[in-house]
Amino acid sequence: MSAVTTNTPAQVADFRHRLDITVDWLVIPLVIMLFAAVFSVHFALLVGDWDYWIDWRDRRWWPLVTPLALSVIPGVFGYLLWDRLRLPVGGTLTILALSAAAWVSRYMNFHGFGGFPMDMVFPSTFIALGLILDTVLVLTRSWFWTGLIGGYLFGALIYPLNWPLLAAYHVPLELHGNMLTVADLMGFEYVRTAIPEYVRIIEHSTLRTFGGVVTPLTAVFAGFLTVLSYWFWVWIGSLVSRTTWLRKII
Amino acid sequence: MAATIPNDGMTAKGARPTKAAAAARMLSLNLPWGKFSAGLVGMLLLFGLYRWYTEATAFTHGMDYFSPDFRTYWMNLMFVQLIVIGVVGVASVSYLWKTRDRHMEALSPMDELRRYMFLIVQLMATTICAYIIFSLYAESDATWHQITVRDTDFTPTHVGLFYFGTPMTILFSAIHFMYARTRLPQFAARLSVPHAMIVAGPILIMPNVGFNEWGHTFFYAEELFAAPIHWGFVVLGWSFFAAGGLLVQMFSRMSELVRSMETAARPA
Repeated sequence: MSAVTTNTPAQVADFRHRLDITVDWLVIPLVIMLFAAVFSVHFALLVGDWDYWIDWRDRRWWPLVTPLALSVIPGVFGYLLWDRLRLPVGGTLTILALSAAAWVSRYMNFHGFGGFPMDMVFPSTFIALGLILDTVLVLTRSWFWTGLIGGYLFGALIYPLNWPLLAAYHVPLELHGNMLTVADLMGFEYVRTAIPEYVRIIEHSTLRTFGGVVTPLTAVFAGFLTVLSYWFWVWIGSLVSRTTWLRKII
Repeated sequence: MAATIPNDGMTAKGARPTKAAAAARMLSLNLPWGKFSAGLVGMLLLFGLYRWYTEATAFTHGMDYFSPDFRTYWMNLMFVQLIVIGVVGVASVSYLWKTRDRHMEALSPMDELRRYMFLIVQLMATTICAYIIFSLYAESDATWHQITVRDTDFTPTHVGLFYFGTPMTILFSAIHFMYARTRLPQFAARLSVPHAMIVAGPILIMPNVGFNEWGHTFFYAEELFAAPIHWGFVVLGWSFFAAGGLLVQMFSRMSELVRSMETAARPA
């Protein structure tokens, strides 16, 4: 303390300025790495298979389960960033971190280590969904409206957002008298340990189509569920952002 | 401080140094940036070498748990790394406890701020470790299981993920938790629930590994990554949500400390 009291206000102000910069240089990369770590394990173990393989990105389950898992981290950390720091970047930043980690992992693991072609295992794109969430938050400054409008669009737009990337893989072709998609053929050619099980799970239904009304209906339902999911996880974000202390451990 | 940020006493880029700015160099946290950088590079080298070893030997000597090759290349490595991490962990935590600050009431704001910066660097190391484990190592395991049928509990990617990466994350977590408890007044006086949560998560991964392996050998032989048997890992990953609360606790205190310095420097 004695050393401090000998300093002038200008010195302390200068010190504070340099301290702020140093903390920024350390904490911003820390937070981005944190988003990448948490989002990666969360996404991988809830919906990872759907995003790993091109033949998993179907019209029925992939557009439904993906936004549900994807909206969790933007909700939790979005609350922290907006409520505590007034930074409307929770959606964009967390999804950017996930996307960067996914690209590194797909290239190093699935392509480099496993030998699968990149065009079979490339990650889907979700960044625009984060931008939508953050934009609605900035415009409305309301978690309610961000969940209702942003959450709905977040859930509904996953398929159309990725359609330009997926279209070429959904072209029908005939092989040995059976009709299947290009993505299906890639899945059969690059054998994985449980392909029949995967196909059975994804395509269990009474009628298989290549498009039609299945996707729009899924998108509407996904949008509705994502609204609820986003609100719930924002609430969780408000809980975990609290500075809770305990006097005694036991 | 910003001991780290070069400060030559300039007030603005290209301007001449002022007396006040030059004197401000006295106020410095004197952080050992060279050691921090060396630690970071060392950690990245360690994980990089481990990855290289995995790629070089997994498919040539790691396919069959019952082969002599597997014991030579993987089981021996696993035993050695577990022992080394365990010894380093016990030694580090013991050292931090033994050298704990017993007079924290006499800690100056500058020294306390310096310790907070040390804590931030330790959290950063833990986070980098968590990223490598949760993304790169975990998904190398996803790749492995799609190429090889699940055979036994011990595979090259499991040895890297569960018996090297996860213990390393626990090691870093234990160190920064003990550092805070023994050197920072507010963390010593009370238990930070967010801090405890982000430490408990990685630790509880190990029992969940036990459940995971038990389940895979008992009722679920497949390796769908999104299967319910893996959701325990997801919940434990969520423990890192509490990092927000921890950062708020730290920044609030750091802000208080700087304000106290400003008050002390103000003319009476």
